[in-house]
Formats: sequence, structure tokens, C-alpha cells
Amino acid sequence: MTQDERSGQVMSQGVMSTGEGMRIFPDVEACIDCGGCVVACKRTWDREIHNQRIDITTMAEGRAGPQGENADKTDRLAAGERPGETSLPMQCYHCENAPCVSVCPTNALQKEDDGFVSVSEDLCVGCQYCLSGCPFGAPQFPDSNEGTAQLFGTGGIMDKCTGCRERQDVQKGPACAEECATDAILVGSAGEIADELEKRDSGSFFNDEAMEIIFGADDAQLFSDQ
Amino acid sequence: MTNLDHGKFSRVTTTFHSLLALTVFFLFFTGYAIAFNTELWWMVELMGGNEGVLLVHRFAGFSLILLTGFWVSYMLLRSTSRSNFRGVLPNRTDISAFVQDIKFALGRADERHPAARQFAGYKADEVPLISYIGKGVVWIFTVELLLLMISGLLIWRKTWLIDFYNSQSVVMAFVAFHGLLGVIMLMGVMFHTFEHGFHPAFYPVEMKAFLPKDRTPNFHDDPDEYETTGIERLRLRSSWRWATNVMGVLVVVGIVSVMMASLSYGGYPVPDRLQFNEGSVLRTIGVNVGMLVLLIGLVLSMYGNVLRARYVRQRRETAERTTAADGGEREADRSGDLEGGGRPGTDGGTRPIDDRSTTDDGTNDGRSDDDVGG
Repeated sequence: MTQDERSGQVMSQGVMSTGEGMRIFPDVEACIDCGGCVVACKRTWDREIHNQRIDITTMAEGRAGPQGENADKTDRLAAGERPGETSLPMQCYHCENAPCVSVCPTNALQKEDDGFVSVSEDLCVGCQYCLSGCPFGAPQFPDSNEGTAQLFGTGGIMDKCTGCRERQDVQKGPACAEECATDAILVGSAGEIADELEKRDSGSFFNDEAMEIIFGADDAQLFSDQ
Repeated sequence: MTNLDHGKFSRVTTTFHSLLALTVFFLFFTGYAIAFNTELWWMVELMGGNEGVLLVHRFAGFSLILLTGFWVSYMLLRSTSRSNFRGVLPNRTDISAFVQDIKFALGRADERHPAARQFAGYKADEVPLISYIGKGVVWIFTVELLLLMISGLLIWRKTWLIDFYNSQSVVMAFVAFHGLLGVIMLMGVMFHTFEHGFHPAFYPVEMKAFLPKDRTPNFHDDPDEYETTGIERLRLRSSWRWATNVMGVLVVVGIVSVMMASLSYGGYPVPDRLQFNEGSVLRTIGVNVGMLVLLIGLVLSMYGNVLRARYVRQRRETAERTTAADGGEREADRSGDLEGGGRPGTDGGTRPIDDRSTTDDGTNDGRSDDDVGG
């Protein structure tokens, strides 16, 4: 018996659509902290070992929630309970209302017309305001511990997840999402992601404020209706 | 005598003033290069590129904090300097002078309050050593610098406030506050440069900021024996008129441009975002003019030190020439006259020795140990 026969719905792949208007969002019910996304990102972009363009954050490690070891985390959270061990792939979500873009004093960070948040290496002065502004810890400063940058705390040039824009331009999904064995990284439009989470009987792990930052006030409603 | 020529600041303070100016100018150049990078892209490159400009900014900021910490400690530890902190406190006369100046500006008073006079050729007992305007400059710059240093440090060392720093609002509050103070102080520094560099009696630099009082010739005779202060003997440089007009225009254009640039970048005084980009030709010219005024201020500060060094060398040469071979007394030194060398005039040149009756013993006119600004 297939999943289709059981529920009438089929789980999509993590990557549902790519390119313009792309959104990227984690499904915490699916993430098993395997680290595949981290490996895929580093392999694709050849980043330094300490540069975490994507990183898996695990909360309450080793603790079971009231529902047991797995699943039903977002519902437990919504019910005001502690959901137990929860893993979450953290990366740049290319927010609709990106705080990093608002706080960047040199316009090095831009919300592009196609929805990607990009950083210009020629303009970034390493002030790290974006690091303070981003609720998700996406900005990385891989050179901040080197030489004068460490002495003066200038941070070096900011680096972050690009959303694998080049891959998406040729209709490939981001490396992390394509690699993910459990399809825990969802890529597509806001509607597609909301629908997919609903199909999976999952939800958002973030609060309303964070959802409005990521998707904007209108699209965030798609998730709160679930 | 006039208060044009008595030494006001100690050696430490004049040195502090020049180094303070140097660090503050570098802070402005780097800070503005970052904030108005569209208009000042060339300055970003000049200050180390996008990877080096913040390094210069932080180094200058750290130097400023060290420098100020040293100077304030020094002033507090020296018993003769401690009174200066009381000397810059506003008193009742300052308030009266301020009120009368307002009335004067509104046409309701015939003349300015005597305590408001600071430049014209009044005798020393007719004017305060530091007027309310001078005190205002000291206080405004002190408060601005202090707040800039604190906010700058907190922005630099974000981890000190990590518990509540990590939000867009707090970041923007800190940076907008720091930037807003920078804009306000920049306008003040431009005006300060114009006020002290382009006064007809001082142009192009006011030597009291560079020549320590122990090297400034002073007057100790009875002022009543002299009808005038000698101000009528000052020679106005022929370039003063056009230079002042040009500088005045540059200062106004610079101040207005910096203010307008801040206004148009999405809200003032609190911006809705920190993007300072999207420049225009007019604004580019205006902001660059503001930086030119700053550069002129920096050059004048250096020129003041050149004049000081030149004057000190002249005095040394004069002293060497007048020392008798048998070790006898130096007549010129005893009489206070400076043969051949003269003393620096307020126009930056030298004055004839018969210009006044001064002693050259390194003391001031018998007033308090006046390290106060103005």
C-alpha cells in the first residue's frame, strides 16, 4: 500500500520549484540531524571547515517530549509544551523582510528582484550589523579570527548561504535540499511550502514574528491558517 | 591687552587638542566614507578599501578613547588643573549674557552682554576668560564625544550586550544614534573650524590652540595705563575677504548637504533603514564639499603646529644670538623683547616688537590657571 492510497496525498520532494520567487524553509518534523546538508553545501561551494552556510541546530538534545521521541513537535510547541529533541537546519531563508538588508549601512546586502538576498563582497565592510540583525544566525564571518580582523574586530567580509542561485538558474535545487535524505529542506513558493507542510501534518517551528520576517505579513498567513 | 593673545592652554592641552583633532578627523573621514559610500567611494578606497576602512575607524576611535582617558586623568591629577572643571560650569553671568544675546538678536537690547564678548579688542578685565559660548563649545563637544565613544564601543564590542543586542531594532537604534551624533558633531566641527580659523583677528589659525601658554608672551602691566589693547595694529591679510567668503559658502553647503543627505536616506533623525545609498550628483558634490571643509580644518590644525614650531625655533635662535660669549645676561630676554624674531601675530606672521608691552616669563595675566577651552 502506498502513501497515496493511505492518505490520498503524496509527499512532494523537498525541491518543488526553483528560481524566481523561491522560498526555502525547514521541516523540523523531518530533520534527523544527519548533517547531509552541511556536507553537500561544503562539497558544492568548497567553503572553509568553520564556515557554516548551513548548520543544524539541535535543541533539547537527548530529551523526549510528551509525545515521545519523534514527530508532532510543532503541535506540541503550539500547545505550549516542550517538544523534546528538535533539529533544525539553519541557513539564510532569503527573508521577505530581511533585517540584514535593513541594517546594512553600505548596501552590501540586497533583496534582489528574484527574491534572493545577496551580499556584495566589494561593499561589505565587515561591520557585523547583519549578524546582530538576523534572527537565524545566517551571516558568517570566516575571516574574523585572522590577523588584524581579530585584533580590531572588523570581522572580514560576510559570507552566507546563496540559495545556490546559480544552480537554481538552471532549474536545479539548492545542494542542501537536493541532498537531504528526508526532504527536510523545502524549496518552492510560499504556497507550495505551506501546502507541503500541511500534507505532512507538520508546521512551522518559528513564531509569528519570525514567520512575518521570512515570508512577509501576507504569505505568513498561509502558515497560520494551518 | 586683548584676550586675543594670552595663552589659554597648557602644553599638554594644546598637544591633546591637535591629536584629538587628528583622531576625530580620521573618524569622520572613515565614518562618513562608510555611511555615504556612494558619494565618498574614493575615500573608502583611500582609507583601506572596504576591508580596511573599519579598521582605521576603530583604530582612530580606540586612540581617541586612550587620548581622552589620559588627558582627563592628567587634568584631574594636577591640582592646578582641577579648577578648570569648575571653570567651565555655567554661572549666573553666563545665563544673563545668553538671555541678553537673545534679546540683542531680536532687537530688544542695544548691545551684547559684556560677558558674551570673546574676540574683540577688549582688555582682559572687561571680558571673561571663557564666555558662555566657549563653555557651550566645550560642553557640546564633550557630551557628543562621550556619547559617540560609548555608543561606538558598544557597537564595536557587541558581545557586551549580547543578551539584548540581537534584534534589528536595537542594532538600528545604536547605529542611528551613533550616526546621528556624528552628523550633529560634524556640523559643529565645520562651524568650529570656520569660527576659529576665519575670524579677521585670527585668520588663518588661532594660535592659542597651538602655542602653550608658557610660551606665549603675556602682559602684566596695569591695563589702565594703556588706552587700547593694540588690536588696531593688527594687519588683516589681503586674502581674508575672499578666503572667508569661499570658506563660508563651503561650510554652509557642507552642513546643509550632510544634513539633507541624512534626511533623504529614509527618515531623520531615526531612519527606517540604514541604507545610505542611491546617491545623486548634487548630493555627491555637497557631501564631498563637507569633507573638503573637514580637510581644510585638518590642514589648518597642522598649519597651527607648523607656526608653533617655527615660532619656538625663532625664539631659540634669538636667545642663542643674544647670549653673551662670557655667559652674561641676555638683555632681550630680560626686557621681554624679541629682537629680530618678534612674536607670532594673529595673522600667522610675526609682529613688530614695539607692538605691545609684554613680558615673556611664561605666566599668564595673573588669572587662574586657565586650561579651559573656548
